[in-house]
Amino acid sequence: MNSLMETLERVTRVAGIRGAMLVSESDGLVVAEALAEGLEGAAVAALAASLTLRLRRTAQTAGLAVPAVVQLKAETGTLITVPAGDDLLLVAVAERDANLGLARIELKDAATRLAS
Amino acid sequence: MRVIESWVAPPLQAFLDESGARLTLLMTTAGQVIAQDGFTRSVDVMAAAALGAAINASTDALAELTGAGRFGAVLHQGSKQGLYLRAFDTPRGRWIGLVVYGAESSAGLVQLFFQQLTEALAGAAPAGPGNVPVLAENFEHELNASLRSLFGR
Amino acid sequence: MTDPIRDLTARLAADPQSLVFLELGEALRVRGQLGAAYKVARMGTNRYPELAEAHDLLARILADQGDRHAAAEAWKRVLDLSPQHVGALKGLAFLAFRAGDPASALPYLEAALASAPDDEGLATAVTRIRASMEVAARKPEPEPVRQLPGVETFEPFESARGVVLLDAQGLRLAGELAAPDGTEVGDAVAAHLQGVSREAGRAARLLGLGAWQSVSAESPDGHLVVQPPTSATVLLLVRDPRVPVGRLALMADQASRAARAWLERLA
Repeated sequence: MNSLMETLERVTRVAGIRGAMLVSESDGLVVAEALAEGLEGAAVAALAASLTLRLRRTAQTAGLAVPAVVQLKAETGTLITVPAGDDLLLVAVAERDANLGLARIELKDAATRLAS
Repeated sequence: MRVIESWVAPPLQAFLDESGARLTLLMTTAGQVIAQDGFTRSVDVMAAAALGAAINASTDALAELTGAGRFGAVLHQGSKQGLYLRAFDTPRGRWIGLVVYGAESSAGLVQLFFQQLTEALAGAAPAGPGNVPVLAENFEHELNASLRSLFGR
Repeated sequence: MTDPIRDLTARLAADPQSLVFLELGEALRVRGQLGAAYKVARMGTNRYPELAEAHDLLARILADQGDRHAAAEAWKRVLDLSPQHVGALKGLAFLAFRAGDPASALPYLEAALASAPDDEGLATAVTRIRASMEVAARKPEPEPVRQLPGVETFEPFESARGVVLLDAQGLRLAGELAAPDGTEVGDAVAAHLQGVSREAGRAARLLGLGAWQSVSAESPDGHLVVQPPTSATVLLLVRDPRVPVGRLALMADQASRAARAWLERLA
């Protein structure tokens, strides 16, 4: 669990990232979280998993492979999800001015470490 | 959706819209049905209510036995459907929610929106007589009246 | 000095059926406690579904939270209940103006002014918008921008490839989409997109991120982006995975602008 929390905290060290978590994709339930004040883990987990699943089905219908990154951009922030193997999803919540490029790299690295 | 008291309808409809639940049953801890959605036969509602109340009672007993206090919810996950059972307090007493969901929803979504449902019900409950004890001889009459209302007859 | 919110909360707790939730919700909204304000307002609309003021309060909170679509729906509900409601008319005008569409704002402002002829703020807003529309009408057409090489154009929109536009019911309005093997998949994908739009709006709203702007999915054999060009349409753009993510977002914006222009020509 320690290395899991370290992995999540490494993602949260990117400027503008409010939180990172590991989610059970099919259930939408929290596995582990490192979230800032004001973010409800259960809500992030359920909604991120549900949105990712929807996008996956849309991509498959369009004849595309399973997405490696799903990103929801909104007025005041961004939600990013990356599959982390074995029905797990890595999720990050970012502020509007976050360094999304770096966040995405950290998330993909973290997902690779978790999946291995 | 069918409800015994109209104030339950808007919060329950919001829950059904957001969660995508296939079957939903709200009942008292005695198994008296408050509202239902998705069931097509009264015998299924009665059976589900009785079983739900029994599971809740067993869970409470287990929690007490093991010193766990009170468990928040019971979740059963099957290959095609899941079941979520949770007791919660309302101004009208302790109720139980039983929700069956499929692949179009998830345990996380049901849990999230069920929490919102309990908060909405707490806010929407009108002031008035609550916790009227149901006497044994009134129970069957109340149950039949509930079932007629829930199935529109 | 007593805290007015605490007093209002106590009054509501003492009498949950009272209308003090209107004052409490507004006080919380003004203070910026939008999450708490939303809960109070939602409780109020559940308890009083036919009370226009309850829906008006909810709409103002949703607008402050950045959920323009939900705010518009709530204000339309107000107008169903109370067709001359000045607050709702002003609110819908505000949303149209914020969306960069002053022409759509004007009828709402004029209707509000008809109900509140002494409102100087409304009269000033109507005058200013009319004046700016007159100036815009007199402006000469801008010079066409020279096309940069390698830049996609989405005109004429109805024959743009790799783009699908659908309406609020999930029905395809324009565009064509083929899978990598050449199969036409536009209608099948359109059927999914309405659900994507709803999920995106819900997630952004419930996580306090404001109104959703786009959803993207990057797959090894293609990237897709979903955007709402208008409040009643959804657009999907699919491109080769070699297109950089940042550029894909700009292309989607371009496609959305083309879609809006096309819809206006149709109207």
